Amino acid sequence: MQIVEPSSPHAAQGVRPSPIGVRRAALLRNEDWLSSFLGLALILVAASVFAAGGSIKWLAVAPQKWSHASDVLQQLRLNGVRYAALFAVWALLLGAAAAALGLGAVKFWRAFAPVFLVTAAIYFLGLWDQAAHYNLEPPLVALALGLLFSNSFGVPRWLDPGLRVELYIKVGIVLLGASLPLTLLAWAGPVAILQAAIVSLITFGVIYAVATRLGLDRRLAATLGTGGAVCGVSGAIAIGGAVGAKKQDISVAISLVVVWAIVMIFVLPLAARALGLSTGVAGAWIGTSEFADAAGLAAAQTYGGYAGNVAGISGHPDAAVTAFTLMKVIGRDMWIGVWAFVLSLIAATRWERTGIESRSGAGEIWKRFPKFVVGFLLASLLVTWFASGYAYGEYKTSVLPGLVAPLQALRTWAFTFAFLSIGLTTRVRELVAVGARPFLAFTAGAAVNVLLGLFLSTRVFGAFWSGLGQ
Amino acid sequence: MSCSTCAHFDPHPAAVEAAFPGLSSLSSAYAAVKAADGLCSRHERYVAASSDCTMYSSASTCTRQS
Repeated sequence: MQIVEPSSPHAAQGVRPSPIGVRRAALLRNEDWLSSFLGLALILVAASVFAAGGSIKWLAVAPQKWSHASDVLQQLRLNGVRYAALFAVWALLLGAAAAALGLGAVKFWRAFAPVFLVTAAIYFLGLWDQAAHYNLEPPLVALALGLLFSNSFGVPRWLDPGLRVELYIKVGIVLLGASLPLTLLAWAGPVAILQAAIVSLITFGVIYAVATRLGLDRRLAATLGTGGAVCGVSGAIAIGGAVGAKKQDISVAISLVVVWAIVMIFVLPLAARALGLSTGVAGAWIGTSEFADAAGLAAAQTYGGYAGNVAGISGHPDAAVTAFTLMKVIGRDMWIGVWAFVLSLIAATRWERTGIESRSGAGEIWKRFPKFVVGFLLASLLVTWFASGYAYGEYKTSVLPGLVAPLQALRTWAFTFAFLSIGLTTRVRELVAVGARPFLAFTAGAAVNVLLGLFLSTRVFGAFWSGLGQ
Repeated sequence: MSCSTCAHFDPHPAAVEAAFPGLSSLSSAYAAVKAADGLCSRHERYVAASSDCTMYSSASTCTRQS
């Protein structure tokens, strides 16, 4: 059945829109499809300009290494117009997405301007030649700065429309698809799915078993379980809705995921660094053990930044983000619809009644499918097809710097918008008190998740992940 | 009748994000995984739009009455 929101003008007037109109409206109000459209549009424009003999390098400006403040001023003097143009393009594209979501383009632009400026400052800081020495990796700086600001001074509400973590992170993931050949996805995808399936099933089982043994409601146990085992906050709301959990229970699951995910952003890269893991192995571990895409990408990008800057860390810088994405997006996120369908069936047939009858069918799997994965795969397909027309040598000397590298720079911008937004939207005072039993159940699962993820990433599939990107 | 047309049901993403602090930090109510789920003010639960219950109250009836 097509859904008409009670608050929509159609519902208020008692008018039923046509099925095509409803489907189009649903597409435009869905962040996953919007981020796919934006990412693919940028890739298509970049490829078209490249095919015509140019490059979007001029637009995809990024700070360069610097030693003294005067170097930064010099870069800004030389590239000020390019930064202004980049801001205008991001504001236009993301503002259009915000308008489609009903957030208001003008409200978005007003909030996005400071987000862009602070992101640029963080990006510059990360390129300081002493940044690695002081652990000033941009994802961690963005996150820490945001957390500090929002929890000390508070964030004015007018900034909220510009703090769209998921929109930024999904646009970045689609752009990431442009730098991953389809052959790599086909080669590494099955391993990622296998490893992620082992960890997801065991972690869910542990959280669910501990939670129910402690006397928690089964719907809360399932919501906590998928939050810890599949895809963090997204998993919690997907399963919470599918099984009809209490509102308070979903808030508890969200609070636990957010707190643990942020702890893991700082702990996982430090632990991987102490263990001397290669970038590919660390990315796989983070992909198995972090709860949310945005949080995991912050940790993985931080670790990728260690390659070449920290003694003993081997591997290509991009391998951490690549392995993370394969593990998290392909191995875990894609399956949330299946989890929702199965758990809604179990809830309807086996668990205590709530007075609400679930009518979910197999269509649930596609409804909840994270559609940005489609954009990510199409981006990979598009650039793989485009690059197939070039010899390997020409790809390295021409396509890589002229097409792929600018898209990577745009991706870094999008990710950094997201990392800053995580910090600015995480207000500890607003998170609900969780109680000891949910905390114990979730923490038991998190511990198993981290240790099992480490074992599989280093011992079972270690050689595979080490070889990624080489 | 399903929750989707019930007066007690609110699937609006802004309302869902307001109801769950922390949701927008690492996810979004505008994401595909949310589907058409919404808040049920009658049962204080978060439910799928395709669900139903005996306390259904038509949203369009309420609109006409008001």
